[in-house]
Amino acid sequence: MILAKNLTLSYDNKKNIIEDANFMIKEKEFIFISGSSGSGKSTLLKSFYGELPVKKGNLFVNKHDLAKKDYSKLLSLRKELGIVFQDYKLIQEYTIEENIMLPLKIHKYAEDVSKAQVKKLLKHVKLSHKIGAYPEELSGGEQQRVAVARALAHNPSVILADEPTGNLDDYSSDMIWTLLKNANEHLGITVVIVTHRIPTNLGIKYRRFNIEEGVVYEAS
Amino acid sequence: MKLLKSFFSFSFPLAIMLLMFSIYLLVTKVVDNYKENIINDYAIVVIANTPLSTINTLAGITVKSIEPLSRTKIIKSVQQNLSDTSIELLQKKLPYFYKIYLAEFPTSLKLEKIRKELMTISNVKKIETFSNDHNKLYSLLILVQNIIFILFCAVLVLSILLLSKQIKIWFFEHKERISIIQLHGGSLLYSSIPIIKIIIASSIFSSLLSGAILILTISSIHLVVEPEIMVLIPDILRMEMEIFQIFILSLIIPFITFLGLLVKYKLK
Repeated sequence: MILAKNLTLSYDNKKNIIEDANFMIKEKEFIFISGSSGSGKSTLLKSFYGELPVKKGNLFVNKHDLAKKDYSKLLSLRKELGIVFQDYKLIQEYTIEENIMLPLKIHKYAEDVSKAQVKKLLKHVKLSHKIGAYPEELSGGEQQRVAVARALAHNPSVILADEPTGNLDDYSSDMIWTLLKNANEHLGITVVIVTHRIPTNLGIKYRRFNIEEGVVYEAS
Repeated sequence: MKLLKSFFSFSFPLAIMLLMFSIYLLVTKVVDNYKENIINDYAIVVIANTPLSTINTLAGITVKSIEPLSRTKIIKSVQQNLSDTSIELLQKKLPYFYKIYLAEFPTSLKLEKIRKELMTISNVKKIETFSNDHNKLYSLLILVQNIIFILFCAVLVLSILLLSKQIKIWFFEHKERISIIQLHGGSLLYSSIPIIKIIIASSIFSSLLSGAILILTISSIHLVVEPEIMVLIPDILRMEMEIFQIFILSLIIPFITFLGLLVKYKLK
């Protein structure tokens, strides 16, 4: 599903952030990428959805070769992914319903199918009563649940989450972990999470990659 | 207020460019009408020793018709003062007279070219172009038309610069939304839909504004233009095609500017 061969990443060809990384993430796996601040966790995740180009080596995500800089193929890869960010990245001018509907619109789902899917997801993230609200009217935890619902809307094969609980309290964090765990366990979605705080009582089998001084290795 | 300000920042340069285009269309229409009027009355007279053969074009202008002037009429007009022998001699020696009608009114340069072309025909003796009457006003109209066209081009370039600047501002304002949509696999075009909507609204507003000003101008043109000139331009009030052209231009120019920027961003 995700395969890195001698992967090297850097910003603007400056110092390498990730150097010569080799790893494979299989389908339906639950993965944590951890490391200290500035170690390159988010950089690595960015390369998975093509936000950062591959400097050297190969990176395959869902069989898309990210070393080839092809804009249209990049967009088609992103359609197969669900992405959750630390700062939620909800569109402020859109209602909660419109935000969750965004990937469905990009996938050209029919209006009635989209609306039904949004209702189902809002029920799942326990925010049905906020359907017409705008992001600014929601708490941080609620906004992140909307972001998870949006990431799940189009049944992606992979969910990439960058510090999804970084800005949340323990209660909201637990809800997000449960949602991501369920997505993996019940929907068979591969989940890759960048975090510096791995929950202790997740109750799921997972693998962890650690990054130290640009080196990616699997931690026990 | 901010939205209104950015809306007008786009609409006004576009409306000014469209108004300039309207003026150009108006002047072109006046010139065309004037040309049509004068060309019906205008002919070049050619005197030749032998009958003139068919001429299709002169200096690139299509020859509408060549009408021979009746020789008997010319002899009749002078025969009272002449003896029979002189009339007989005149009949033998009198050259052939022709009126050449052209499909369009020639400029001074073309007229000179026509004269030269006619002079190359061996049997042509004399050419009379009678151009002086119309030529001054016609040249003035052509000059005005050319000046307005140059001004229109300058305003067009300036407008495109201002429009592209405003579109860039809109792209900047919608930067976050665009990047979120693109992160979900939406194309740059799809993520720019809100900008396209503002462009369409501004373009329609600008074309309505300039169309209204044009209609107002032509409906009150008789107040400023002399009646004898109005006779020369009877079709001036029929501007449906010109208003349609303004509408099309009001959409085409912003969209070309927008697409240009889109390609630039895509290449980035």
